[in-house]
Amino acid sequence: MSYKVVHYINQFFANIGGEEMAHVAPELREGFVGPGMALNTAWKGEAEITATIVCGDSYFAEHEADAKEKVLAWVKEQKPDMFIAGPAFNAGRYGYACATIANAVQEELGIPVLTGMYEENPGADLKNKVLIVATANSAAGMRKAAPVMAKLALKIMKGEKIGASAEEGYMPNGIRRNFFEKEVGAKRAVDMLIAKLSDKPFTTEYPMPSFDRVAPNKAVKDLSKATIALCTSGGIVPKGNPDHIESSSASHYGEYSIAGVDDLTAETYETAHGGYDPVYANADADRVLPVDILREMEREGKIGKLHDFFYTTVGNGTSVANAKKFAAEYAQKLLQAGVHAVIMTST
Amino acid sequence: MATAYNPRDFLILTNNPLVPTCMEGRGLYTIRFQPERSFREILVEARDMVYAGHILYTHPLAGSVKPNETPYKSLVVSMEPHGFDAQHGEMIANAIAVFDKFKPLQRSLGPSVLEDFQLIDYTLLAGAIGFDAQAGLSK
Amino acid sequence: MKLELGYIQIKDIQFSKECKVDNGTLYVDPDAVKAYLYEDDDVKAWVKDFGFDIAKPGESVRITPVKDVIEPRVKVEGPGGVFPGVISKVETVGSGKTHVLRGMAVVTAGKIVGFQEGIIDMSGPGAEYTPFSKLNNLVVVAEPNEGYQDHKHEYEHAVRIAGLRAATYIGELGRSVTPDETAEFETYGIKEGLEKLPNLPRVAYVHMLQSQGLLHDTYVYGVDAKRSLTTILCPTETMDGAIISGNCVSACDKNTTYHHQNNPVVANLFAAHGKTLNYVCNIITNENVYLADKQRSSDWTAKLCRLLDLDGALVSQEGFGNPDTDLIMNCKKIELQGVKTVIITDEYAGQDGKSQSLADADPLADAVVTGGNANEVIILPKMDKVIGTLDYVDVIAGGHAGSLRPDGTIEAELQVITGATNEMGFNRLSAR
Repeated sequence: MSYKVVHYINQFFANIGGEEMAHVAPELREGFVGPGMALNTAWKGEAEITATIVCGDSYFAEHEADAKEKVLAWVKEQKPDMFIAGPAFNAGRYGYACATIANAVQEELGIPVLTGMYEENPGADLKNKVLIVATANSAAGMRKAAPVMAKLALKIMKGEKIGASAEEGYMPNGIRRNFFEKEVGAKRAVDMLIAKLSDKPFTTEYPMPSFDRVAPNKAVKDLSKATIALCTSGGIVPKGNPDHIESSSASHYGEYSIAGVDDLTAETYETAHGGYDPVYANADADRVLPVDILREMEREGKIGKLHDFFYTTVGNGTSVANAKKFAAEYAQKLLQAGVHAVIMTST
Repeated sequence: MATAYNPRDFLILTNNPLVPTCMEGRGLYTIRFQPERSFREILVEARDMVYAGHILYTHPLAGSVKPNETPYKSLVVSMEPHGFDAQHGEMIANAIAVFDKFKPLQRSLGPSVLEDFQLIDYTLLAGAIGFDAQAGLSK
Repeated sequence: MKLELGYIQIKDIQFSKECKVDNGTLYVDPDAVKAYLYEDDDVKAWVKDFGFDIAKPGESVRITPVKDVIEPRVKVEGPGGVFPGVISKVETVGSGKTHVLRGMAVVTAGKIVGFQEGIIDMSGPGAEYTPFSKLNNLVVVAEPNEGYQDHKHEYEHAVRIAGLRAATYIGELGRSVTPDETAEFETYGIKEGLEKLPNLPRVAYVHMLQSQGLLHDTYVYGVDAKRSLTTILCPTETMDGAIISGNCVSACDKNTTYHHQNNPVVANLFAAHGKTLNYVCNIITNENVYLADKQRSSDWTAKLCRLLDLDGALVSQEGFGNPDTDLIMNCKKIELQGVKTVIITDEYAGQDGKSQSLADADPLADAVVTGGNANEVIILPKMDKVIGTLDYVDVIAGGHAGSLRPDGTIEAELQVITGATNEMGFNRLSAR
């Protein structure tokens, strides 16, 4: 008996058409379609694509919830051993769809998944959640990608231990795995140094954790004349969370007036954050957003003024891109309001 | 970074009984021996002091004995706050992160193993601040 | 400075009534070696007895706890002798001719502290991770005198010396043997190198030495490295035994004396020397616990790189935790001098591989070679014979109560295997 696989592809690879046909709604077909053949061939009967789901890229992008629901229902019904999406190569929306739908299948149905795409494809942002095989940047890379994906998929279906990313061909996913290289470390190091010295490309074996360091501004000269604003990623909001900031993966931030507010109390403020024990923040939100202390400093003349508005969001799983977007927006508002310095609290 | 060598400013935070036994009264440093504190609690105490402006004189992860293996920790901070040093703050915070990544080991250690862990922690401390470890042991 | 190494391939070791190297076989009389070890007063004072054993590749044998691994060598021409400042007089080595008994090692084993790991399996999955499973090993197991508990520094010293003496004694047997193969190694003076290799990038090896305390020390010409400033060594000095190991705790990323003698960075830089680079020298620098020492030593490393007008530097680390700070300080400061670096390290990414691998990091460290994740769990099968003792397996790194299972298998982290994730890049093991 061979393993059952459901394959997800877009309208282009199903031969329906290019961009002009990207609006087509998802459909379920029996057996393999298009690139599925390459996978089937590589499996030599050990596994087989029993159904293919075809969905237009625009359709997925514009009706994500609906597309997800349909695909999940079909996959659930098919009860496959594995779900494979793509490969999407450099097609951005296709890559996004592949990674997103694969993640949904994995999380909601508990079925192992695999996809493939070019490393700069925006879908690759999910590489720490979904196993993604690194491919060339155009469909010409299919001949190389299919055997790599097929081999890795078969290993997963058989329950075998997966090797390191460099061996198996998937993108590094934040899980370090040991394996034996062809050369000893010192030889690899000398080769890497020679490449680095001659400005040739080389790949570090351990990329340093990514840094997004911001050079600090010059110190505020006279705090007693400065307007200070409070901002937080700790999710402090007026009681009831009027703007419905999500408890994780926040899609927006809130702007609230604290003019005349001396103290945040359990009756007036709370946290929307779903990533930490909210008891202490809900009992006294000053613990996260220290309005009370800033007011005290204002009265003592240590600071000039506490800004009338605070900006808040939930840092829990919120993407760096979103967080940057929020801050870029309200930083302008702060500048326009003549704020001199900001205290940003995290949790 | 740290100021010039001034042993009078050394405050040794430790939960290792061998440290006061061997080192008490033999130098200009001060020993704060707290046997009730865990390895992690010593790190946290040091972190809070560093955040309050004390200097970190020794690296919080001395030695190759992993933090989940030995119960003992000794490190040196300054007696007096000299102003916050971000590099020291990062170092001590990283050390706590490293501590937390090691899986707690469920095992009971016999007295001779505990003594050896004390000995290693003590010699690392002694090595760090230039104290003659062997002379201390002969006490 | 030019050094010629004459390799005498040792294919077998046998106990015998006489000591000699004959046709690739080492014949050893344990009593003769023992008598030589006891000529040292410290050994006499602290070591009650020595047991001798032989472990060959492929045998169902486990050696533990391992203290040091040493390759027997003998100086046959030129100044100095083996292990200068410790066994021989403190005369500069690294030139002339040295014979190497290749394919074998002296392994010292025996308990010093109660949580000491250091496992060498001669076969099975564990054997793949330690380079010493491929050697014919003469194992010297030390047993302490009564009362050593209060004198562990002295006892550690005695066992260290005993290992070096045993290697010296064995090495001497190769003095008049004709080597199977010879090789020459030579680096140039600064000006000479510039003239001879004008178009090649100038590269040095920044060799970091663990230097923290008992079982965490390294000695250079007999000097405790933690009391030394960063300095320059000729690469051939290392080959002649100028650096010896005094550390064995968390054995996976500790450099044994064998590693120093056969430093793979030195070997690979020599292989590229004159072809793709100009190998200028080694810079040795310590890994002290006192933070001001770290700053001073890394400042000096960077300063020497600049003074030598290097183009590139290869930095190797030793150990876990605080050496990460030295590694990153060295790398960053050297890069800031405009000298390009590659660093070699290993990782503690947790048993699941998901944690941050190093205790420190910097974006300038953009070229890293890794010796693998030392937290990865390994199951070591039961071996027919144990040289040393399994008494402490439950308290070794990554071990837990029940690590030593009733069937004799051991469940532990790679940390316990001698040399498994070596940070000189001795092995093929890596991680992604």
